[in-house]
Amino acid sequence: MLRVLLVNDTEKPIGELRMALSVQGYDILAEVATPHALLAAVEGQRPDVVIIDTESPSRDTLEQLAVMNTHAPRPVVMFTQDADQQLIRAAVGAGVTAYVVDGLAPAKLAPIIEAALARFAEESRLRQRLAEVEQKLSDRKLIDRAKGLLMDKRQMSEAAAYDTLRSQAMKQGAKLADIAKQIIAMADLLG
Amino acid sequence: MSFSSSHASPWLAGSDAPEKTQLKLGFVPLTDCAPVVVAKMRDFGRRHGIEIELCRQPSWAAVRDKLLSGEIDAAHTLYGLVYGVQLGIGGPQADMAVLMTLSQNGQAITLSNQLAASLRGVGNLRQALECEPRKPVFAQTFPTGTHALWLYYWLAAQDVHPLKEVRSVVIPPPQMSDALARGELDGFCAGEPWHAVAEARKVGQTVVSSSEIWPDHPEKVLACRRDFAALYPNSARALTMAVLEACQWLESVEHRREAAAWLSTDSITGAPVDLIAPRLLGDYGGSPLRQPPRPLRFFADGAVNFPYLSDGLWFLSQYRRWGLLREAQDLAGIAAAVNQTALYREAASALGIPVPEQATRSSVLIDGLSWQGEAAEAYADGFAIRAAD
Repeated sequence: MLRVLLVNDTEKPIGELRMALSVQGYDILAEVATPHALLAAVEGQRPDVVIIDTESPSRDTLEQLAVMNTHAPRPVVMFTQDADQQLIRAAVGAGVTAYVVDGLAPAKLAPIIEAALARFAEESRLRQRLAEVEQKLSDRKLIDRAKGLLMDKRQMSEAAAYDTLRSQAMKQGAKLADIAKQIIAMADLLG
Repeated sequence: MSFSSSHASPWLAGSDAPEKTQLKLGFVPLTDCAPVVVAKMRDFGRRHGIEIELCRQPSWAAVRDKLLSGEIDAAHTLYGLVYGVQLGIGGPQADMAVLMTLSQNGQAITLSNQLAASLRGVGNLRQALECEPRKPVFAQTFPTGTHALWLYYWLAAQDVHPLKEVRSVVIPPPQMSDALARGELDGFCAGEPWHAVAEARKVGQTVVSSSEIWPDHPEKVLACRRDFAALYPNSARALTMAVLEACQWLESVEHRREAAAWLSTDSITGAPVDLIAPRLLGDYGGSPLRQPPRPLRFFADGAVNFPYLSDGLWFLSQYRRWGLLREAQDLAGIAAAVNQTALYREAASALGIPVPEQATRSSVLIDGLSWQGEAAEAYADGFAIRAAD
């Protein structure tokens, strides 16, 4: 039975994988939330797999263990274009990283990664969508401000101001929001 | 928005324009990430045709993974990390490139108050550690990184075997103070402002600056994957030029004060400016240091920035010394492939910054041994304290 350690030290609730993994028959060790506890758990309880938020600051603690202790889990190499690495790449996309002991067959890791994906991939997609919406909103604001500046300083109509921005963007091969930023910066500079 | 023609880059003409103009630059929140922050804040990329986006990273492992996956193009990173990845020590292997050195000095070792007092009392570290009730625990920041190697060198120079007589762990630097306060650590080696934070919280004392271990040692580098430098040579050169100008800008005291304010913002370190500015300006206050530290240097007329082959080779020598690299390899060949001296020469020359004639330099370290920048294997063999074969 594979022994799995869940590191729950960021906003991403890695610990919530306990249920899903337990019912699949994995031996889930008591989860840890600090580098100190992580050290004690890896050295004292010898997990086969460690699941951790990709953005966790405690990852370097695991890196040290991987170098100093041949029995400690090592980072999964995830950058080959190999088809059977797709799962690992999906995990990276969902912000989940696995460390596994040397010699563990990739097939054995797959169900664990799948459980992590089921829990976190959707959330990560939602977050990305939210970020895109926020970006669009802030772009909108910039463009409106630049339009306002052109209308105010150049007495342009709103349509003419928008056309000016658009043709500049096309000429420079830049995004509309970037042109808007330039105009705002210029206006700030010139007062 | 002014374009100073006297400084316009000749590389912008024709086919020398950057192949990729939007560059994502990773950094770890530390005082010595100043060059990349300044390059961004002062927009030094603009006149070289690039736009820099800063991407803060929570760990060195994340810096490595994102460099390898292409999520970031280049990064402010530990010198040793680049060579660790080049050799595949403890993780993935990839061909790496050092574009330039970003900084020298500016790191330190802080001990718990108890161990610092004991060291003052008995006068030598070995005896002080023998009084400890448990195997002493020292923390650093990454297994192949600079802090691991400064710590190991310093311990060994005092006749303490870093792999046998202490427990060496990694703790995220922002958590070092708490770990000291809770008695989980006896000391740590890391960058600033984390030593200043520990002293301000009165949980430890800085007893040695890294410049005492190796005066003007190389510390952080600007690194990327080797294939990035090969595919986008103009972008790599433009980035090197922009960051070199940032290093130059950091020479003045006024500019460093300005940079300290940027570094303290929440999007960079989030540490109080009072804890960043003094040591960035070379003031170590009342720390019980044996020697006044040499300043954190970013430029020194380019002397800091040239990617000396001997600097890269030193890290390889220490991996041999500590058994992190088990087989003998062509160490000099590896350093020559990683450190992009030709690209650096082009970048520095275009800016009128002097480039050293020799690609090696020599130094004398804390144990009195001199490093001549060659014969790394023999140098590694020459240490009395090293990993067992």
